[in-house]
Amino acid sequence: MIDALRAPCYALGMTMAGFSTIAREAGLDFWMALVTSLGVWGMPGQVAFASLYAVGASLVIIFIAVSLANMRMLLMVVSAADMMHLGAHQLPLWKRVFWMHFLAITAWAHVGMAEQKYPSHLLLAYYQGFALTIFTFGIGGTILGYFLSDFLTPDLLRFVIFITPIYIMLMIINARQKANRLAVVIGGCLSPVFFPFAGEWAILLAGVVGGSLASLYSRYIAEWHLEMEA
Amino acid sequence: MIDSVLADQGDVLYAWLAVGCAIAGTAVWRFAGVVLASRIPADSPLMGWINTMAYAMVSGVLMLILAHPTGVLATTEIEHRFFGLLVGLVVVFFTKRLIVSLLFGVASFAVAVTFF
Repeated sequence: MIDALRAPCYALGMTMAGFSTIAREAGLDFWMALVTSLGVWGMPGQVAFASLYAVGASLVIIFIAVSLANMRMLLMVVSAADMMHLGAHQLPLWKRVFWMHFLAITAWAHVGMAEQKYPSHLLLAYYQGFALTIFTFGIGGTILGYFLSDFLTPDLLRFVIFITPIYIMLMIINARQKANRLAVVIGGCLSPVFFPFAGEWAILLAGVVGGSLASLYSRYIAEWHLEMEA
Repeated sequence: MIDSVLADQGDVLYAWLAVGCAIAGTAVWRFAGVVLASRIPADSPLMGWINTMAYAMVSGVLMLILAHPTGVLATTEIEHRFFGLLVGLVVVFFTKRLIVSLLFGVASFAVAVTFF
């Protein structure tokens, strides 16, 4: 809650303002940009959507591209639900779906950080406060960005938009478990390598290959090291 | 006249359907995640694997944003973006302080873009 009111909410608001600028360039009207932010709430998918809309891509292509860009939601929701012990809160399905709608990279990474500070039964409340705060700022950013894009100089805007990817990168590289840190390094190195021939699939490939390598390393090789030392 | 009005309505319909596709394309994963989460035991190797894949995938998305950005970020040089990231990583490695390293990373990016 207070964590959210520090850097992330402003950075995310500006990132969403950046999306609004792209959406406006692509020819979406204000309501369409707003509903996209409200309904998708996942930056890479939103950018993929706006860029494809701009070139008049077919609906099927848009659906597939956005699905690919936002496929990580599946893993993030499972991982966040695990960290927050969502099952123990006995929420009905619709409530779980409702709360997970607000889960995106920033909130997920913050729950991972908060896991190191707070007991797990408090994490759901932490997440709810955090996610709603940045969601509000993100939607505010979408609204402002659509109308203020004429007044913001692109020179300044690009520094602000740079904040979110760097911020999240620094946060996940500090993950508590070694295997997850290793996964960040491998996944981050692989996706630009895969991109030229795999396009949007590069993210999925980097995730599966990077995550599997990191898991295998920590399970077999790292344990083997421990046994040698012991 | 009527044709152009119909064409406009078609465009608006296409746009809203496209928004709907984008929303559906994201919602399916969140929904699947909620359903799956209740079936996978915590602290199992499978959960560990899902976690590493989530981290690797998020890192992959971020690196693609930095390597192949869209919008105004695309007006900057790739060397400058990675310089900013590198400075941030080095500072966080030594200080372990998130906000400080974020400031260093973004500031060095701004300096690189402005002066080089």
